[in-house]
Amino acid sequence: MTPEQLALRDAVRGLLDKHSDVRAAIETPHGYDKDLWARLTDIGVLPIPEQYGGSGATFDETRIALEELGRTLTPSPLLASAIAAHALLTSTGAEFRGRLLRRIAEGAVATLAWDSVAVTATPAIDYPEVNAASDYLDGAARYVLDGDLAEILLVSDGEFLYEVDPATLSREHTPTIDQTRRLATVHLSNAPALRVGRWSPEIRDFALAALSAEQVGAAARALELTVEYTKTRVQFGKPIGSFQALKHRMADLHVLVETARSAALAANDEVSAAVAKVYCSEAFFSVAAEMVQLHGGIAITWEHDAHLYFKRAHGSRQLFGSPQDHIRRLTRFAHR
Amino acid sequence: MDLSLDAATIEFQAEVRSWLATHVRPLSSMDTPDGFEEHRAWERQLASARLSVVSWPAEFGGREASLLQWLVFEEEYHAAGAPGRVSQNGIFLLAPTLFAFGTDEQRARILPAMARADEVWAQAWSEPEAGSDLASLRSTAVRCDGGWLLRGQKTWSSRAAFADRAFGLFRTGPGERHRGLTYLLFDLRAEGVSVRPIAQLDGEPGFAEIFLDDVFVPDHDVVGAVGDGWRVAMSTAGNERGLTLRSPGRFLAAAGRLVELYRKNPDPALRDRVVDAWIGAQAYRLHTFGALSSPPSGPAASVTKVFWSELDVALHETALDLLGEAAPGWRDGWLFSLAGPIYAGTNEIQRNVIAERILGLPR
Ligand SMILES: Cc1cc2nc3c(=O)[nH]c(=O)nc-3n(C[C@H](O)[C@H](O)[C@H](O)COP(=O)(O)OP(=O)(O)OC[C@H]3O[C@@H](n4cnc5c(N)ncnc54)[C@H](O)[C@@H]3O)c2cc1C
Repeated sequence: MTPEQLALRDAVRGLLDKHSDVRAAIETPHGYDKDLWARLTDIGVLPIPEQYGGSGATFDETRIALEELGRTLTPSPLLASAIAAHALLTSTGAEFRGRLLRRIAEGAVATLAWDSVAVTATPAIDYPEVNAASDYLDGAARYVLDGDLAEILLVSDGEFLYEVDPATLSREHTPTIDQTRRLATVHLSNAPALRVGRWSPEIRDFALAALSAEQVGAAARALELTVEYTKTRVQFGKPIGSFQALKHRMADLHVLVETARSAALAANDEVSAAVAKVYCSEAFFSVAAEMVQLHGGIAITWEHDAHLYFKRAHGSRQLFGSPQDHIRRLTRFAHR
Repeated sequence: MDLSLDAATIEFQAEVRSWLATHVRPLSSMDTPDGFEEHRAWERQLASARLSVVSWPAEFGGREASLLQWLVFEEEYHAAGAPGRVSQNGIFLLAPTLFAFGTDEQRARILPAMARADEVWAQAWSEPEAGSDLASLRSTAVRCDGGWLLRGQKTWSSRAAFADRAFGLFRTGPGERHRGLTYLLFDLRAEGVSVRPIAQLDGEPGFAEIFLDDVFVPDHDVVGAVGDGWRVAMSTAGNERGLTLRSPGRFLAAAGRLVELYRKNPDPALRDRVVDAWIGAQAYRLHTFGALSSPPSGPAASVTKVFWSELDVALHETALDLLGEAAPGWRDGWLFSLAGPIYAGTNEIQRNVIAERILGLPR
C-alpha cells in the first residue's frame, strides 16, 4: 500500500472503531447507519473521478474501504454503490454518467441488479426522453443489494443497462439469514426504463473483486478475534491457544487468509475475479466455521459475534453466484 | 453381519410406523414457552402409547425393547419427521445413570415421571470456567441437616429455561479436580435457584445459566456415592457421546431428505457430496448394528461422537449449497448442527480421548 492508502485505511478503521455498531444498525428500519455512511463518503471511498464530483478515489481505495467494512461487518451501501458507480463509469454514455455519478458521490444509495435478474425489455417509441433509447421492463430481480432503499436503481438484462425510476416499481426487503446485508426483490411491471449503456461482463468481474475484498477483511478479523480469544481462555490450566490441535488450525487459517488477500487484490479480469470469488468465499467460510468451533459454547449464543461472521460468510458465498457457479465457468478456461 | 429383523421386531416396527403416521404433527420450537409445552404434551402422547422410553423396563413405562428394536424405533421416528425430544437429556443421560448407580427408590420416584414428561430434566454440568475442563468445576455442595446446600453457577444448560429439574456435578471435597465431586439432582424452581435464559444463534433461548444460592437438596437426591460423582457422570457422558443421544435414524432420515432435495435441484457439482453424506449415514448405521452386542461406551463413544457430529454438519451444508440459501426446513437444523462438534464434549476433546485412550499415544 502507498502511504496515502495506508492513511485511508487508518482513517476508515478509526471511523469504524468509533462509530460502527452492527447490532444497532441492523435494528434500524433501513439496516445501516446513515451518519456513518455520510462520513465514509466524505473520506472518499467511492470510485468516482473528480470531474463527476467524486474524490478521485479508484478501485484500489474502494477495496481498502470494503476490506475494513468487512472486518467489522458494518452494513453499508458501499458495495452496491461502488458497483453501480463503476458500471456507470465504464459502460454508459457520457450524457447519463455525469448526472448519476454526481448524485452517488453525494451519498445517494445506488445499486445495479445484474445477477439474479429475469426481465424482458419491450422497446418503447413513445418514451418521453427524446435522446435515449428506452424500453419497458417486465420481470423481477432478486437478491438486489440495497434494492429496496436505492435512490438510483440500475438493472441489467444481460445486454443493456437500464435506469429505472424506483417510483415506477414495487420492491421489498427480503431478509436472509445474514442480517448484516440488505437484500431486496424488485418487481418490474411495464416499468419505463432508460437504456443508459451496455452490459459488460467486466462489471461482473468488478463486483466479484469488490465482494472478495470484503470477504477477506471479514475473514481476517474473524481469525484475529479467534486468536485473541484462545490466548485468554484458560482450560486445563493453560490458554487453549497453547494446544497444538488449535495452534495448527489457526496457523492454517492464517495461510488461508493471506492467500485469499492476494487473490482478492489480484482480481482484475474474468479468470482472476472468478478465482478470487471462489477462493475468498471458501476461505471466509472456513475461518468463520473455525471461529465458532474454537470459541466453544459461547459461539452458539446470540450475544457473541461469531454467528454474525458465520452468517455473513454463508450469505457472501451465495451472493453473485455460488462457488459451484463460478467453478463451472472456470472449467472452460482450464480446458483451453 | 445379518441385518434382517426378527418377527417380533418387524411387528413392533409396523406398530410404531402406523402410530406415528396418525399422530405426528408439526410443533413450534421447543425453545419457546408455548413450544416447550407442546413438546411436553407430545411426550405424554408418546408415553400413553408406551413409546416414550421403549427400551426401559415395563414398570417404568417402557416395553423392554432390545437395542436393535430401539434402533428400529429411532429410524421410524425420524423417518416420520416426528418432533425433537424435549425429554432427551433425562431419558438418554440421566436415566441410564440411574439404572447403573441409582437406588430403587430413586428409580421408582424419578423414572415414571420422566417417561411421561411430568418432569423434564436439564443437564447442569458446565460452568463458565469449566467447559472442556469439566473437572475444574467450582460449584459446591455443602453438608447440612438432612442434605446438601448448592452454591455456584452452571451454564449452557439445554432447555433449562423451561425444564423442571436438573442433574449436576458439585464439589463436595475432599480432593481436587475429579476427586471430591458428587452427582446431585435439584429442582429448577427451588428456593435459591435463578435461571437466566440465553438466546442461541437463532435468537431462541435454547439453553440457560443457572445461579444457585444455598439451594437445598435432600440426601435422597444424591446419585451414587458422595465423592464418586466423576465416575457416575462419565457413565452418562458415554451415553451422550455414543449412539443413544444421536441414533443413526436421525441421519438416515436427513440423508434421505438430502437425496430428495438433490432430485429436485440436481447440481452435478454437488453430486459427490450428496452421495458422501448418504454413505456417511449408512456407515453410521452399519457401525451401530455392528456394535449391537457391545454398544460403544467409554472411549469408543468418542469415535461415534466425532462421526455423527461431523456427518450432521456435512449433510446440512450440502443441503444449503443445493438450495443456495438458508431455506426453512433446513435452516434450523443447519444452525443446530454447528453446535454438534461442541456439545457433549468438543470434538477436540474426543480426539484427545481417541488418541490417548484408544490409540495409546503418549500424553
Ligand atoms: C448447544 C449446546 C448445548 C449444550 N448443552 C449443555 C447442557 O445441557 N448441559 C451442560 O452442562 N453443558 C452443555 N453445553 C456445554 C458444552 O458441554 C460445552 O460448551 C463444551 O464442553 C465446551 O466447553 P466450553 O464451551 O467452555 O469451551 P472451551 O472448553 O473453552 O473450548 C474452547 C475451544 O478450546 C478447545 N479445547 C479445550 N481444551 C482443549 C484441549 N485440551 N485440547 C484441544 N482443544 C481444546 C475446545 O475443543 C474448543 O474448540 C452445551 C453446549 C452447546 C453449544
